[in-house]
Amino acid sequence: MVHALSEIRRVLVPNGILIDLRPVLNHWPVEVKSERETCATGRIRDLPLGLADDEAANKSIAQAQQNRWFAREAEEFFPFYYSWDSPSEMEEWIAEEWHEFIELDEESTRATRSTWALGDADSAVRVGVNMLITRWRKE
Amino acid sequence: MTIQKDAERNETEYLHRFADFVGKRVLEVGCGEGRLTWQYAKETRQTVGIDLDQDALRVATIERPSDLKDGVHFSRAMSEQLPFSKETFDIAVLAWSL
Repeated sequence: MVHALSEIRRVLVPNGILIDLRPVLNHWPVEVKSERETCATGRIRDLPLGLADDEAANKSIAQAQQNRWFAREAEEFFPFYYSWDSPSEMEEWIAEEWHEFIELDEESTRATRSTWALGDADSAVRVGVNMLITRWRKE
Repeated sequence: MTIQKDAERNETEYLHRFADFVGKRVLEVGCGEGRLTWQYAKETRQTVGIDLDQDALRVATIERPSDLKDGVHFSRAMSEQLPFSKETFDIAVLAWSL
């Protein structure tokens, strides 16, 4: 990753901008949402491989900063919602796409299923992925 | 399976809050199928998206709007060995790829 940052620095003009946009694990919230209301039903459990990935990314960018390749100008977190029509679709997605990084515990699974089943007709299920965006300036 | 990603368009809002893409030459690392690319590419002078996933790049190329054919290009490349000359781009976007 550090080598990639070095390459990006090479192809950027002087004072060029690097935008680092990525999800960061932080026990992402699970919710059942309808037009009328939003109900929190649990939190995602972070798995070691996902946490290790985040740590490696953080170390790489810290190294680039230490090397004076880039200077941090701005940073914020924001939610990026993945939304499904039903809990089973969410569970299927997590099992197929995210199983190495996160998992949904039994309590959250149960709470999401029952809240959705008893909820409004337009209820959907969503996970709020914690996104980090940082603007770096080439030094 | 029906899935919606970022229906609130938070990602687009933050991306534009953090960078002014108008008239810029942009490199997107990890462009995948171009989901993020389409959020800003119309404003740029030129956009190049790179990824290692050939299938995703094929989808991105197929789904590229006709008015972006001249300004947006996709290429299979490794971020550790970028096939570009030095000082080619004004902005680089690491799209979920660090």
